[in-house]
Amino acid sequence: MSFYLSTIAVYFCVDLLAAWALNMQFGWAGIPNFAFILTQAAGAYMYAVVALGPSGGLTAFQHYILGASLPFPLPLLVAAGAGGVVALALGLITLRPLRRDYQAAVFLLFAVIASDVVSADVGLFNGSNGLAAVPQPFSSLQTTLGLGGYQWLYAGFTAVICLGGLSLVRGLGGSGWQRALRAARDDEAGARALGVNPAVLRLQVFFIGGMLAGLSGGLLVGFISAWSPGAWEYSETFAILTGIILGGVSNNWGVFVGTFLVQIAFQELTALFLPQIGYPGLSDALVWVVIGVLWLLVIYFRPRGILPERRTRMSTLQPSTSPEMSDAD
Amino acid sequence: MNSTILLQSIGFGITTAAVIAIGAMGFTLQLGVTNLLNLSFGNIMTLGAFASLIVERWHLGLVPTILAAPLVGAVASVLLARTLLAVFARRQNGAFELLMVTLAAGLIIEYTLDALAHLQVFQFQFPSGATVHLGPFVFTVLSLALIGAAALVLAALLAALHLTRLGKALRALSVDPKLARACGVPMRRMINLTWIVSGALAGLAGLVYVTNSLTISAGAGLNFLVLVIAAAILGGAGSPVGAVLAALVIGVATEVVAAFGGSYYSQAAGLAILALVLVLRPSTGMWSGPTRDEVTV
Repeated sequence: MSFYLSTIAVYFCVDLLAAWALNMQFGWAGIPNFAFILTQAAGAYMYAVVALGPSGGLTAFQHYILGASLPFPLPLLVAAGAGGVVALALGLITLRPLRRDYQAAVFLLFAVIASDVVSADVGLFNGSNGLAAVPQPFSSLQTTLGLGGYQWLYAGFTAVICLGGLSLVRGLGGSGWQRALRAARDDEAGARALGVNPAVLRLQVFFIGGMLAGLSGGLLVGFISAWSPGAWEYSETFAILTGIILGGVSNNWGVFVGTFLVQIAFQELTALFLPQIGYPGLSDALVWVVIGVLWLLVIYFRPRGILPERRTRMSTLQPSTSPEMSDAD
Repeated sequence: MNSTILLQSIGFGITTAAVIAIGAMGFTLQLGVTNLLNLSFGNIMTLGAFASLIVERWHLGLVPTILAAPLVGAVASVLLARTLLAVFARRQNGAFELLMVTLAAGLIIEYTLDALAHLQVFQFQFPSGATVHLGPFVFTVLSLALIGAAALVLAALLAALHLTRLGKALRALSVDPKLARACGVPMRRMINLTWIVSGALAGLAGLVYVTNSLTISAGAGLNFLVLVIAAAILGGAGSPVGAVLAALVIGVATEVVAAFGGSYYSQAAGLAILALVLVLRPSTGMWSGPTRDEVTV
C-alpha cells in the first residue's frame, strides 16, 4: 500500500508540473497546444539517453542516439532544455496568425506524426519498444533505504521540484508579463495597440512551458526507468487538458483539483482498485471513452471549471511608480 | 537507376494521392459549408472501413462490401451533427469549442471501436489485380480503380457544385450563411446534405485506405486524417480542386520520401509541406482560410 501511495505521489507531482505548464500556454495565452505531450516526451527521451550510457554497451538490446552517462542532476537539466527547444521549434512553426481551430488541428497533426516517426525509426529512441533500464538516480540508496524508502525519497524530491514549479507559476502569474499575455489572448488588437508584442510573448510562454514539461518528463522517466511511444499518445494531452478544464482554466488551484480528479482519482485509482474486467487492455480503452464523455460534460455544464479564472482587479495590481498615474486612479 | 525509382515512386504517389483526395474532398466540403474543423472525420473513416470489413466477412459479394462504408459513414456523420454538435452549437459555442467537441467525439469512437475490436489489427483481403504499364508508371488494377474513383468523385462534386441550383445554394451558404438564408436557401436541408455527403466520402475514404494498407485497427483513421487535414488546409477550405491538387503534392512527396529517405519519414514529409506553407504562407489568397467566425452545424 505504501508502495502504491509513493508511486501515485510521484505521478501526481509530475502530472501537476505538466498541467501547470500546459495551463500557461492554454489558459494564460489561449494557445490550443494539442502537441503538448511532445515536449514532455522530449524531456523523458533526452533524460534517458544521457543517463543510459553509450548505445550498444551494457544495453545492447536497444539503440538510441547520443548515449552518455551524466551524473544525476544533469539529465534533468538536459530534459528541461530539450522540452524548451522542442516547444520553441513547434511554436516557431505554428504560432502564426492562424484561426485558433486551425492551429489546434496543426498541433494535433504534429503530435500524431511525431509519434509515428519515433515509433518507426528504431535508431532514434529504439522505436515502438522504447527505452528501458534507464538508471534511477542514486540507485545505491535502494540497498540502504529499501525500495519503499527509496520510493518515498523520490516522491519527496519530486514534490520539492513540484513546489518550485508552483512558486515559478505563482510568480509569473502575478506579473505584468502574464497580464500582457492574457490581454493578448482576450483582445489581440487592443494589446498590440498598448505596445505588447503577442508573438514574442507566446514564444516565451511556449519555451517556459516546454521546459517545465521536459522537466516533468525527466522526473517521470527517472522514476519508472522506461519510456516508449505508448506513454505519450496524443490522447495524453487530452487527459491533461480535461483536468485543466474540469478544475478551472487559468486558476492554479483549479488545475490542482482537476488534475487530481482526472489523472489520479480517475485514472490511477480506478486502475488500482477496480477489478480487471474482460480481456487485458479493455479497461484502459474504456477509461479513454469515459474521459471523452467527461470532457463533453465539462464543456457543456461547467465550461469555466470548478474554480473559475479570477478576474484581475485594479486594487490587486502593484501601485504604479509614477505619482500622476496613481492619482488618476 | 534513380530515375526509375523516382518514376515508380511518383506512380505510387498518385495512388496515395487518390486515397488522400477522396477523404480531403469530403473534409473540405464540410469545412467550407459548416466552417467547422471536424476532428472526428478520421474516426468516421475508421467506422466505414470496419463496416466494410464486417460485410466482407458475410460474403455478400463486392458491391455490398463497397457500399457499406459510405452508407455507415453518412449515417454516423449526420447523426453526430444532429445530436452532439447541434446540442453544443445551440449553446453559442464558437468554432474552437466545437472543434474540441469533435475531438472528444473522435476519442469516444476510437476507443469504443478499440474495445469492441479487442484492440486487434484486422487483415483486409482485397485483390490488387494485374499490373498495368502506363508510360513510365506501373499501376495495379486496384490502384487504377482508386485513381478512377477519386477522379469520379471530383467530377461529381464539381458538377453538383457548379451546374445545379443545389450547388449554387451550397456555395452561397459557405460564403455568407445569413445572406443565403435571407435569400431563401433551405439551411437545415443543405447542411444535413453536406454532412451526409461528407460522411459518405469519409466512409469511402476509410475503405479506400484499407484497400491500400490491407490492415485496419481502431486507431487507423487518425493517422490517415493527418494527411487528409493537411491536404484540406493546404488546398484552401471548401475547395475540392484545391484539395485534390494538395493531395497530389502530399501523396507524391510521401512516396518519394519513402523511396529515397526511408519509410519512417514518409508521413512526416506530408506534414513538412504543410508546415512550410504555414511558415511561408502569404497572408491573403488561397491559404488565408475562411474569415467568418460562426459555425453552422
